[in-house]
Amino acid sequence: MHGSMLGPEQLLLIAIGLPLFGAALIVVHCRPDGRLFARQSALVTAILTLLAAGWLLVQFSNHGTEPFAATDLDWFSDPSGIHIRFAVALDGLSAWLFGLSALLVVTCVLVSWEAIQDRAPSFYAMLLLLETGLLGVFAARDIILFYIFFEFTLIPLFFLIGIWGSEQRRYAAIKFFIFTLIGSLLTLLGLLVLIIWNSQHPAPGRPAELTFSIPDLTASLQAAAAAGDGIPVAVQIWIFGALFAGFAIKVPLFPLHTWLPLAHTEAPTAGSVLLAGILLKIGTYGFLRFSIPMLPEATAVLMPTILWLAVAGIIYGAFVALAQSDIKRLIAYSSVSHLGFCMLGLFALNPLAVEGGALQMINHGLSTGGLFACVGMLYERYHTRQIRDYSGMARKLPILAFFLVIFTLSSIGLPGLNGFAGEFLLLVGAFQRAFTHPALDWGWQLKLIAILATLGVVLGAWYMLWLIQRTFFGPLKEPVRDDIKGPVRDLSFREIAALVPLVVLIVWIGIQPQAFLAPMRPALRDTTSMATVAYERGPQLAEVDWNIHP
Amino acid sequence: MSDWTTIQKLLVAIPALPLVATMVTALLGPRYLRGKSHLPIVFGLVISCVLSLELLRQLNRAIENHETGIGYETTVDLWTWASVPEAYDGSGSRKTIGDSTGRLITDVHDASDSSGPFHIAVTLRADGLTCIMLAMVTLVALLIAIYAVGYMHQDRGCWRFFTYIGLFVFSMTMLVSASNFVLLYVFWEAVGLCSYLLIGFWYEKREAAAAGTKAFLVNRVGDFGFALALFFIWTVYGTLNFHDTQNAPGVLGQERLSSMQQEFGRPGESGEGHPRGAQDQDVRTGYVGGGIGLAICLLLMLGACGKSAQFPLHVWLPDAMEGPTPVSALIHAATMVTAGVYMVARCTPLFAVDCAPYLDPRAVVATIGGLSALIAGIIAMTQNDLKRVLAYSTISQLGYMFLALGTGSLVGIIAGMFHLFTHAFFKSLLFLGAGSVMHAMGGVIDMRKFGGLRRLMPMTFWTFLAGALALSGIWPLAGFFSKDAILAAAYDVGHGEAAYASLFLWLTYAAFLTAFLTALYTFRAFYMTFFGAEEIPAEAGHHARESRPIMTVPLVILALGALAVGWIFGQPGATKSGFAGVAASTPSLAVMVHPGYRALDTAAERKSAAERKSAAEKKSAAEKGSVAEKGLHQDSHRRVAIISLVLAVLGIGIAGFLYLGDAREVRAIIQWPVMKQLHRISYGKFFFDPVYWILVVLPGLALASICYAFDRWLIDGLVNTIGRIPSGIGRLFRNMQCGMLQTYALWMLLGVLTLLGSAVWHMW
Repeated sequence: MHGSMLGPEQLLLIAIGLPLFGAALIVVHCRPDGRLFARQSALVTAILTLLAAGWLLVQFSNHGTEPFAATDLDWFSDPSGIHIRFAVALDGLSAWLFGLSALLVVTCVLVSWEAIQDRAPSFYAMLLLLETGLLGVFAARDIILFYIFFEFTLIPLFFLIGIWGSEQRRYAAIKFFIFTLIGSLLTLLGLLVLIIWNSQHPAPGRPAELTFSIPDLTASLQAAAAAGDGIPVAVQIWIFGALFAGFAIKVPLFPLHTWLPLAHTEAPTAGSVLLAGILLKIGTYGFLRFSIPMLPEATAVLMPTILWLAVAGIIYGAFVALAQSDIKRLIAYSSVSHLGFCMLGLFALNPLAVEGGALQMINHGLSTGGLFACVGMLYERYHTRQIRDYSGMARKLPILAFFLVIFTLSSIGLPGLNGFAGEFLLLVGAFQRAFTHPALDWGWQLKLIAILATLGVVLGAWYMLWLIQRTFFGPLKEPVRDDIKGPVRDLSFREIAALVPLVVLIVWIGIQPQAFLAPMRPALRDTTSMATVAYERGPQLAEVDWNIHP
Repeated sequence: MSDWTTIQKLLVAIPALPLVATMVTALLGPRYLRGKSHLPIVFGLVISCVLSLELLRQLNRAIENHETGIGYETTVDLWTWASVPEAYDGSGSRKTIGDSTGRLITDVHDASDSSGPFHIAVTLRADGLTCIMLAMVTLVALLIAIYAVGYMHQDRGCWRFFTYIGLFVFSMTMLVSASNFVLLYVFWEAVGLCSYLLIGFWYEKREAAAAGTKAFLVNRVGDFGFALALFFIWTVYGTLNFHDTQNAPGVLGQERLSSMQQEFGRPGESGEGHPRGAQDQDVRTGYVGGGIGLAICLLLMLGACGKSAQFPLHVWLPDAMEGPTPVSALIHAATMVTAGVYMVARCTPLFAVDCAPYLDPRAVVATIGGLSALIAGIIAMTQNDLKRVLAYSTISQLGYMFLALGTGSLVGIIAGMFHLFTHAFFKSLLFLGAGSVMHAMGGVIDMRKFGGLRRLMPMTFWTFLAGALALSGIWPLAGFFSKDAILAAAYDVGHGEAAYASLFLWLTYAAFLTAFLTALYTFRAFYMTFFGAEEIPAEAGHHARESRPIMTVPLVILALGALAVGWIFGQPGATKSGFAGVAASTPSLAVMVHPGYRALDTAAERKSAAERKSAAEKKSAAEKGSVAEKGLHQDSHRRVAIISLVLAVLGIGIAGFLYLGDAREVRAIIQWPVMKQLHRISYGKFFFDPVYWILVVLPGLALASICYAFDRWLIDGLVNTIGRIPSGIGRLFRNMQCGMLQTYALWMLLGVLTLLGSAVWHMW
C-alpha cells in the first residue's frame, strides 16, 4: 500500500471510487459466464476499499479534526447563485457507518462466492456499485450529491433483489423500490424547501445564497435559530414531515415497515446483509444529519410522537418476530425492533441516549448482518428457510452454530458484547430523560416509553433464543429435499473468514465501547444540542401556532 | 502495573487465570487436548484458589492495620468502559426531579456542581465480602472441576464442558470483584449465559435445550428489574459506582460518608421547596428513600429473585437439573445462585433507607425469603428425582439467606452470608453425591428405581450422610451454625419493637417449620437412596459400583468442610479476623455499626438528632462488641438453637419411621383428606409452571400471532391498497382504449358535450 504517500483526502476519494472502478472492470473485462474472475476482482476491490476505509478510520479516531479528509470541488455553478459542489468528508456521524459499509461488502462477496452461479459478473458489478453508493451517501457533504448517492443505492439493490432473490423477488423488489422512491422524493422536496427558505431568510451576517452544502446549511439555520429568527415551528413541522417520509421508511419506523420483511426475506444473502447492515442506517443517519440539527424545534415538539413510534416498533416488531416460521423473516422483523431502539436513543435528546443510539446503529449492522450471513450459509446448504425443517443442527454444523450463537447473543444485548453497550447507554439515557424532564403533562408517557423499551430486551431474548432452541438444539433432523447437492459440510475457511471480522468487532465494542464512542461524541453533541435546548424549553404540540405568516 | 499493591495484583490474577485457561481450552481443546481438556482449567483453578486464600490473608492483615474510615476496601482500575462527559445534569435534575407531583424523586446533589460524567470503568475491588466470595468460589470450583474430570471423562464434548466451566469461574470471580453496578450487571448476565450453555450442554435432549432457554428467559425477567433499578440509581444519584467505593470519583452517596463523619442531618433541608422531598431523603444516610427508594430496592430484589431462584421466579432452577451434575453443584447450588444474596447484601445501605409511608423494602426481602423457603420445602417433600429434591432444597436455603438479609441487622446479614458460605460446601457435596449415584446407576436419578446403595457405594454413602446432616442443621455440622444464626436474627426482630415485628414472628415460625421439613425431605431422599433392599436399575449395567477416587476425593474434602466450617468460623470467640470480622469490614456493612445507621427497629422513632446520635452510638457499640467478641452466637439464642435442633432430629426420626422399610405409613398418611390435598399441591409444585404457561407464555404467543395477522392484513393491506390506487386509475382509463371505434366516438361526443356545457354555463 502507498497509504503513507496519500493524504486522507485522496484516500477518501479512492475509497469511494474504487468499487466503481472494480465494477467497470468486471463489466468490461468479463464474459457473462466469467464467475471466477468476477468474484476474485470483486473480492480484491472490496478488500482494497476496506483497507483504505480502515486506514482512514484509524487516522480519524486517533487525531481526527472535523471535517476529516474533506474534498470540496466546484461541480455546478450558476450565476443565479446556485452552487452545487462535489464535497465529501467524514465526521463522527458518518465515520463508523462508512467503515461498516466497506467491511460488510467484503463479507457479502465472501458469502456470495458459491451461492451466486447465475450471471455472476453482473451480480458483483451491482454489489460494487452499491458499495460506491453507500460510501458516497455517508461521505457526501452536499445535499445534491447526497441525494444522488442515495438514489444510486436503490438501483443496484433493486436488481440484486429482483434478479438474484428467491420466489417472490419481483414483488419484493418493486415494493422496496416504490416505497423508498416515494419517501425519498418527499425528502428531496423537504430539503429543497429548507434550502430555499434559508436563502430567503439568511441569518444575520450571512449571505443570502442557495447553498446546497450540508454544513453551511446547518450552520446557517442554526445561527438564524440562535438569533431568534429561525423557521417558524409550524413550517419546521411540515418540512420535518417531508424529510420524515423518506427517512422513516428507510429506518423503517412502525408502521412504515412492511417493505422490510419482504425485501430482506426475498433478497439474496448479500442483499439482506447490506439491507439490514447499512441501508436501514441511512434512515437513522438522515435523521441525525438533517432532521435533528436543521429542524430542532420540530424535533423537540415531535419527539414524544417519534418515541412512541419507536417503542411501538420495539414491542410490535418483537412480537411479530415471535410469530414467524421463516428464519429470515424472523430476523427481518427483529430489525424493526432493533431500529426502534436506535430511534429511541437518537430522539431521547439526551447525551447518553444519543451516543447509545448511534453506537446501536453500528451494533445492529454487525449482529444482524452476521445473522443474515449465517442464515444464508444455512440456506445455501439446505435450500429451506422454514424453522420447522430444522432441528439439532448444532450437531451437524458446530462452527456455524458457534457463530450463530455469538451473533444471537450480540443481538439480544448480552453484556460483554456490543449490543449491550448500545442498549444500556440508550436506555439509561432515555430513562434519565424521562425522569428528569421539564414538568410536562405528558411526562408520564416518556416514563412509560422508557420502561416498555426495557421490556423489549426481554422479548428480544425470547424470540431469538427460541429460534436457536428450535433449529440448532434438540435431536438432529436435517431437511430432506431433492435439490441438496452432495454431503453437507460445516463452514469452510472462506465462510469463517467472512464472519470472523464481525465477531472481532462485536467483542471489541463490547469490552471497550469508549474507543468507538469518543470519536463520535463531538459531532453528536453538535448535532443534538439545539434540539435538546429546544426540548428543555418545554414546547408542546398543542401550543404550536399553525398560522404561517410569510 | 508495577505500582500495584499485592492485593491489587492478586485481585487481577484471580479472574485472569480462569480466563486464560478458558481460551487455551477453547483453542486447543477440540483438536489437541480432547480427553485432557480439563488440564488447563484445573491447573488455573489450583493457582486461583491458592491466590484467593492468599488474598484473604492479605486482606485480613490490611484490615488489622487499617483503623480509620468506615470499613476497608481497595480498588484496581483496569480500563474505561464508557465515559460520557457532562451526562448527568445535576442542576436540571434539581429543577425537575421533584416534579409536579413533587414526590417521586428528591434532590440529592444539591452540594455538587451542576453536571457530572457518566463514567463506567472496569475497576475491580477487594473488600471483606469480595474476598470471602472469591475464596469460596475458587475452592468449590476447583473441587468440582476435579470431580468433573471423572464424571465427564466419557463425554465427547469434554472440551466444551471445561471451556464453559472456565468461562463461568472467570465470570463469577469478576461478578464478586466488580466495583460498579454496570460491571456487576455485565457478569451477572455472563454467569447467566454460562448457566444457559451448561444447562443445555446436552443440547440434543429436547428437555435440556428447553430448560436452558427457560432459565435464560426467567433470568431476563429478573434482569429487566435489575436494569430498571440501575437506571433509577443513575437518574437519582448520578453515578453507578457502588455506594461504598471510596477511591473512585463520583461515588453514590458520597455525602453520606462525610455527613456521617461530621454530623447527622444536612443543612439546607428547609422543607420549603419540596416538602415531600425533605421527608423522602433519609437525612442520616444521604440515600434517597420514599417511593423511589422503595422502587430501587424492589427492582433490585426482582433481579435477585431471578438469579437466586426465589418465589415467584424460582421456576427455572428445578429444570436446570437437566445439565450435567457437576454444573448443578457448582452453578445451581454453590455459586451462581447465591449472586442474588451477594448483591442484596452488597446493597444493604440502599435497602436500609426510610421508605415511609410505603413498605420497608427489608420486610419484602424477608417475606420473599421466608415464603420461598417454605414453599420449596413443601415441594421437596414429594419429588422423586433426587436432583430435583436438592434443587428445591437449594431454593429453600436461599430463602433462608434472604430472610436473614431482610432482618436488616448486621448479625442477620452476616448470618445470611455465613449460610451462603456453609451452604456452598454441603450442598455441592450433596449434589456431587447425587451425581456419583447417577453415574453408578447409568443416568437414572429417580429414587423409586434404586435403593439400598449404602453397601455398594460406601464412600458416597458416608459423605452424603455428612452433607444431609449438615443440611438438616445437626450440631456441630456446618448448617447448624449458620441456619441457627439466621433463625436467631429473625427471632430477635420478631420479638423486638419494630414496625414489622409480627410479620417477622410469622416468618420465624415459617422458618422453624422449614427447618423441620428440611430434615424430613433430606432424610427421605437419603433413606430412599441408601437404605432398604438393594435395588439397581437395568440401565446401570456394569457401572454399578463406587465411583473412582478422582470423584470420591473431592467428596471427602467437601464432607470435611461440611463437618468443620461451621465449627471453625462460626464459633463464639471468633475475632476480628474471623468470618464475621472480615465480612463486617465491608464498607457497606461497616456503616451499620457506625452511628447514624438506621436499624429496622428504630424506624418508627423520630427523635431529635442529638438523642438519636447518642442512642445510635450506644447501640453500635453494643453491636460491634457482640459481633466481634461473641461471633455469631449469642447467649440469648440458646433457646432458638435448641428448638431448631429438636425439630431437625424430629424430622430425621419421622423420615426414618416413614421411609425406612416398607412405605405403607406414607401411603396411609396421604389418604388423610388434608394430606391428600397437600400432597397434590406439593407434587404439582404449587402449579407454578402451568399457571405461568397460561398467564404468560400462551398470551404472549397469541399476541404474537395477532400482531402478525395485523401486520399482514391490516398494515400491509393498507399499503397495498394505496399502492393499487395508481394502477386502479390506470385500469379505469385503460378500459376506455379498447380499440372500438364506436366507443371512441362516444367518448368524444361526451367530451364535446361537456366542453360545450361548461362554456354555456359560464356564459350564462
